[in-house]
Amino acid sequence: MIAGLTYFVTEAWASVWRGRSAAILSVLTIAIAAFVLGLFLLVAGHVQRTVDQWSRSAELSVYLRDESTDGERAAVRNVLRATPSVAAVEFVSKTAALARFRKNFPELAPATDSAADNPLPASFEVRLGSDQSAAAVERLSARVSRMAGVADVRYDRRWLDRLVSLGNFVRWTGLLLAGVLVLAAALTVTNVVRLSLYARRDEIEIMELVGAPLSFIRGPFVCEGMIQGGLGAVVALALLRVALTLSAPRLSALAAGLFEVGRIEFLSGLSVAGLIVGGMAVGCLGGLVASRRIH
Amino acid sequence: MRSCAASWNARERRGAILAAGCPTGAGTLSSAARPNTVIEIDGLSKRYAREVFALHDVTMRVGRGEFAFLTGPSGAGKTTLLRILLRQEVPTAGRVLVDGRDLAALGPADVQRYRRTLGFVFQDFKLIPRKTVFENVIFALRILGVPDVQQRRRTFQVLKWVGLQHRANAFPLELSGGEQQRVAIARALVNEPVLVLADEPTGNLDPDLALEIMNLFREMNAGGTTVLVATHDRELIHHVGRRTIALDHGSVTESA
Repeated sequence: MIAGLTYFVTEAWASVWRGRSAAILSVLTIAIAAFVLGLFLLVAGHVQRTVDQWSRSAELSVYLRDESTDGERAAVRNVLRATPSVAAVEFVSKTAALARFRKNFPELAPATDSAADNPLPASFEVRLGSDQSAAAVERLSARVSRMAGVADVRYDRRWLDRLVSLGNFVRWTGLLLAGVLVLAAALTVTNVVRLSLYARRDEIEIMELVGAPLSFIRGPFVCEGMIQGGLGAVVALALLRVALTLSAPRLSALAAGLFEVGRIEFLSGLSVAGLIVGGMAVGCLGGLVASRRIH
Repeated sequence: MRSCAASWNARERRGAILAAGCPTGAGTLSSAARPNTVIEIDGLSKRYAREVFALHDVTMRVGRGEFAFLTGPSGAGKTTLLRILLRQEVPTAGRVLVDGRDLAALGPADVQRYRRTLGFVFQDFKLIPRKTVFENVIFALRILGVPDVQQRRRTFQVLKWVGLQHRANAFPLELSGGEQQRVAIARALVNEPVLVLADEPTGNLDPDLALEIMNLFREMNAGGTTVLVATHDRELIHHVGRRTIALDHGSVTESA
């Protein structure tokens, strides 16, 4: 078993080296596909992390009328706390709301100083659980908005859902594009392995004549495709890493505005392993298709 | 020059294989069940196009341990017959039995197993240029799953028999034509074949080298291996003096 694998790898590597100019072509084709896929995974990962972060802090804001009574407020609080999809409820008084406003928007603070009364309403800030359904939140929102003492209910989940949809769109577009490129890469590998097969047709004939099993003849060619695929993925990851490092300062500034993440991070270990294994799988497929000519 | 054939005769070769506990070819019949005829052909025809016969109604026998020549002019059908015996071609009609196997009934995996019981030698040597002499010969054993130590030992033995043990690390293109053919013969013999098929094995060699190669075939045959050599060289056939099966226009014209 191990001797057979060693034979496959040794023969495949020798073949890749002999036909290196053609092999470089297929390695680059796979590298382009893997680079595009990696880039989209990177962007989708950051979008997902932002969505997760925002989801955790997704809030339902229940604004209270200035004239609402303590009893009405208690009733609202009790309804909110009794709802399973609510993770936490915090009361923000008019004074606390004003202080927060002044802290968050210091340039607008003078405007509030000139106002006779505090214009900001008291509110309940409701943090929602991460697994709550949109319909359940809608029902809660509708119920609370009808309660006495409640002026308005704001639910910021709607645009978050839109962001999630946008993220999914980006991810699926990326996957589709990468899929087309992967197909092109698989075809290139198939043709490059076919060239190698053609160059070694005498050798294949000899192997057939001595009664070598098909797996023994085809194995090196499949392995050759896998080597090309794996190398392509490694090249793509290296390029992605270099591109990320070189553009990190600009990207971080951009990301700070776009995503609520501290800095741009490289792909996770799982994604890196997935890309390499995926590249090898594509190469393997190309090698298999090409070597099907041997029978 | 080559060492004497007695250095590795058939009995020793077979003994080495049995000692190693290795198959001499999957599916080979036990000695008790082995037919006395290794090649048994009845009414064989091979047609490539409408009314274009490469072989027509060929019937012939080659006994176990026999050395026979297949002769005839170019286009007589010698190579086609050998290709059928190697199961590279399938007959259009007729029956071909080799060591009791009906070649028409073999599936793809059976063909592989069958070929492992054969040895072949061609005019153009069919060596892998990027592999050394040793690697070219040991390759035939590797696919049999023979243990590494046995593979190496048997490869050295057979290279010694053809007198090329000192060129084991050379590449085929570094050898003369005669030496390359001796490597091909070593490869043909290393797996203990039931039958060795040779297609114009001396076609690229001068007369002296041709005789030397023929002597190797004779020694191989003296060890018990059945040998069928296709050649159009009448002088060589006369010199070796074995049974001749003559083909002309795809039909057997003489068998003596």
